[in-house]
Parts: sequence; structure tokens; C-alpha cells
Amino acid sequence: MSADQSSLVSRWKTAISDLRQGRAKRRTYVILMVVALAFLAVLPFVAGNYWVRVVTGIFMFATLSQAWNVITGYTGYFAFGNVAFLGTGAYVTAVLVVRYSVPVPVAIVIGAVVAAVYAMLLGFPLLRITGHYFSIATIGVNLATREIAFNLPSITGGGMGITMPLMRVSIQTFYRYIYFGMLGLMLLCTAAVYLLMRSRTGFAFRAIGADESAARSMGINTTLYKVLAWGFSAFFFGLVGGLYAYWFSFIEPPMVFNPANAIKIVAMTYLGGIGTLPGPIIGAFILEIISETVWGRFLELHLAVLGLIIVFVTVFMPNGLLPLIRGESSLRALVQNLRERRL
Amino acid sequence: MAILSGKGVSKRFGALAAVDQVDFEIAEGEILGLIGPNGAGKTTLVNVICGSLPITAGTVHFKGQDISEWTANRVAESGIARTFQIPKPLPGMTVLENTMVGGLFGRARRSRDMNHVRELARETLAFVGLEARVDARVEALTVADRKRVELAKALAMDPELLLLDEVMAGLNLVEIETVMDLIRQIKDRGVTVLVIEHVMKAVMGLCDRILVLHHGKRIALDTPQEISRDDRVIEAYLGERYAAAKGQRVN
Repeated sequence: MSADQSSLVSRWKTAISDLRQGRAKRRTYVILMVVALAFLAVLPFVAGNYWVRVVTGIFMFATLSQAWNVITGYTGYFAFGNVAFLGTGAYVTAVLVVRYSVPVPVAIVIGAVVAAVYAMLLGFPLLRITGHYFSIATIGVNLATREIAFNLPSITGGGMGITMPLMRVSIQTFYRYIYFGMLGLMLLCTAAVYLLMRSRTGFAFRAIGADESAARSMGINTTLYKVLAWGFSAFFFGLVGGLYAYWFSFIEPPMVFNPANAIKIVAMTYLGGIGTLPGPIIGAFILEIISETVWGRFLELHLAVLGLIIVFVTVFMPNGLLPLIRGESSLRALVQNLRERRL
Repeated sequence: MAILSGKGVSKRFGALAAVDQVDFEIAEGEILGLIGPNGAGKTTLVNVICGSLPITAGTVHFKGQDISEWTANRVAESGIARTFQIPKPLPGMTVLENTMVGGLFGRARRSRDMNHVRELARETLAFVGLEARVDARVEALTVADRKRVELAKALAMDPELLLLDEVMAGLNLVEIETVMDLIRQIKDRGVTVLVIEHVMKAVMGLCDRILVLHHGKRIALDTPQEISRDDRVIEAYLGERYAAAKGQRVN
């Protein structure tokens, strides 16, 4: 065999083994996902109401974190007050259902569209400011929107809140509907983000997050894409808000415009890995399960621990848990990070 | 025919006239050098052309259109691409993804097919000699490679006019030769090039004409041969006493 031929053969072999490894890796992911989905599909029929509620809450926060990740993780705008759009979605849905007898699914979609349009209208002026200033402005948006809900009692019920009609099914069946509804939103949001981030628009988001002025000089209309990113994010906050209102069947301003939810979303996204697709979901599951099983008992301490997690993660694992899970980082690297910071 | 022309282009920062009443034109297909001592206003002029900084007075025309008031992204879409003196790669993205952004936006924006854009980006990276680093994160690159990414990003935008802000600074002699060769090839593809450069050998060897700025003012616009004999240019670079001494020696 000539030298040429043998090198060709060895190259062929490498190519084949590369392909196999690549395929094997993808297959592992697919199997893991199918198993997880099968488990989640069976869960509400075997677990008690308590765990069904907890996991529904996880789906809800995973969806919110996933949507928040688009404007903050990828596009780089720390939208702390995004819960304003959760509240908007919740209120629009509740008002449409209660006062105009709109069917619930239709009302939820309208609520999400209103939330997205609201975010985009606010985005044109607000997304011109950057960094902490933008972040603070979004907190202002949340508080202002909450005040609007408080001060329009003829529409929103004001501080009295608003009660939605109950579905005429058993409470267990109702919880299952909500469970699968939230699971559906989480999957929908994740699929949408997956596709979005592979598209031209997603490249614009990431380029803006990486270096806005460089992005602009490459021909990206940064204002437009920032507004789109926030609108996309707000749309899913609105969807979740609508379903949340129906789930709890009673909403009031402090509940749906709760800044504590914003903190939770931040902690989950950073814990799992900001700017990644699986990160927000991993973060939501880990944090919510831990907080339900351990810290749920200490209500006051709970928030302090949440704060500590944010500090710990941003200082020592700025990329979150995902690199650890993927095997790109190790506990040893974490310890080294601790040493380098002389702690 | 001039592809880009400026009349009375001025940029003030408070009392400082960083660019002061500069007239220039770049002919289609030429390589124009932009030189001047530190602080002469070279980068400011490029920033004004690109819309990165608002113009104080004067007008800039690109292909017959007044672009003086355009935003940076609109200028980029119209066919002007630039590189930054301090490379601005997009961190968190691979070399290939960085280059793809150029292919998805810029003048090339008509192409929305991701596979097509990816292939074009690969070709561009091969052209600048980065084919071995396509999947590397930009943060992991050397200075020389970052400059290549900067060039690849701009080229992927499919520009008609390329503004290169000190792409050779910090490179060794061999790398400078490579980049000079790349710029000649870019010119052969029909792209008009404006180069800001301190490396005189490169400026003299590459440029068809040279624009010299000093304290924001244009002091010369001529061929490299004429520029190297221009007293005002020598004075700007080496000081009055040197110019005077040289004048005496000639006399």
C-alpha cells in the first residue's frame, strides 16, 4: 500500500470515529431528554397534589428564566423588572375572562401580546440607557404598572384583586391541566429560544450582548433588535402570567408584580448558567427543589439564602453549574478560583 | 470617480477641533493612506465617516449620497465596513460566529440562509489565514489573530469601502508582509480601501495616495513620492528644527 493510500485510510478512520462520537453524544442527550419528559408526563398521575404544584411552579419559573435569559443573558440588558409583564399578562387575561367572557386560552394569548407590545413601546426609550440605569428603570416600570393596577378599580378591582371563574372539574384534574399547561409553555419557550438563537435575529442579540458598538458598526440596528429581544421576553412573561392567574384563580397587584419573583429568576438563571439554553431550566429545578425541601421551612431566611446563592454563583461560578455538568469545568477549578480570591 | 468624499468635515469636542475643515476624496478602487502624528484626528475622522460620532460641520458623501447624518448601522449597511484600532471581537462567540455576524448584516445582509452565510464566513476566514481557528473562542486568540478576525468580520460584510484602523500595529515584520499582501488582494477584488497606519513601509508600499492630518487639519493629499518630500509633512512628524536643519543642508 502506498503512503498516500494509507494516509487516506487513516483519515477515513478518524472521520468515522469522530462521526460516531458526535452521534453517540447527541444520542445521549436525546435519550436523557426523552426519559426526563416521560418522567414529567407520568408524574401528575402518581405524585400527590403537593408535588404536582411544586413541579408546576418549577415549569413556571423555568419558562420565566428562559425568557429572561433572552434579554439579559444573550442581549446583555439586565431587565430586573420583567415581572411587570407577568403582571400585565395576568391582569389582561383576568379582565378579559371576567368582564368580557373571553375563552381562557384566547385571553392568555391576548394578554401575552399586550405584554409584548407594552415592553416594545417602553423599549424604544428605555433601551437607550444601559447598565444599572436600565435595570433601575425596569424596576420603575414594574412599580408603575403595579400602581396602575391598584388605581383602576373599575377594571382591575384595585386592591381588592380580581377573582376568575373556576373550571368545572375536580381540583386534581384542574391541577393536572395547569401542570401540562406550564410544561407546554416551558417546552414552547425553550424551543422558541433554541430556534431564535440559531437565526439571524439571534446572532444580532448575541452580538449586541457581546459589544453593542461593534454590533452597530457591523450594520446591526441595535435599537430595533433590543426592542425585539425585550418584546420576545415579555411575550413569554405574559403567557406565564395569564396561566398563573387562572391557576391561582385570584390575583391582586402585590402578588403578580412581586419583585421577589424577579430575584428568584435572577438566581435561577445565574445558578444554571446565564446565556445558555439548558442553564435557566437546570437552575429553576435545582433552586426550587432545594428551597421546597430545605429552606421552605425558614421563610425569612429563605430570601437571605437566595441572595447568598446569587453572590456565590456570580463570584465563584460566573458561568453557573452548566460547565460543571458538561465536564468543561471541575470542582478543582472551583477550589482554585476560591484560592485565587484568597478566601 | 470618487466613491467617498468629504467637504469641510469637522468634529469638535468642546473647544478642541479634533477634525478641522477637512476636504478629501477617495477614488473608486484605490488605496488611500491616512497618516499623521498621534492625536492628529485620524480615528476621529473614521468615526465621523462611519457615523459612530455625530459630525459637527461639513458633509460626507458615499456613492453620491449624503451620509453625514446617518447612524453607524445604516452606514455599514450601505457598504462601508471598518475595523477598530483596538480589535472589538464579539466575546462569547467563536471566530466563525463573529465572521457570520458580518455576513448576516453589513451590506451582505440580503443573505439570510444560515448555511450559505456559514460557508462564506469559512471562505473569508481561509482568505485571512484563520481556517485553523474557526471554532476557537475569540478571547483565546493572540493579538495578531484578533486583528485577522477584525479583518474577516469587516470583509464578510461585503463592503465596497473598507476602513482599516491600524491593522498592522503590534504585528511583526513577517505578519506585516502578510497583511500588506491581503490588502492588495482585497483591492484586486474591487474594494476601495482607506488605511490608517503608522508603519511607514506599509503606507509607502501600499497606498496610491496619502492624506496627511496634523492637529485635525489636512496638510497634504498626494502620492507617496510627493508626500515623502513634503516639508510640512516632515515638519509635522519630525519637528520644525529637523525640517529647518534639513532645509539648510539642501541649501
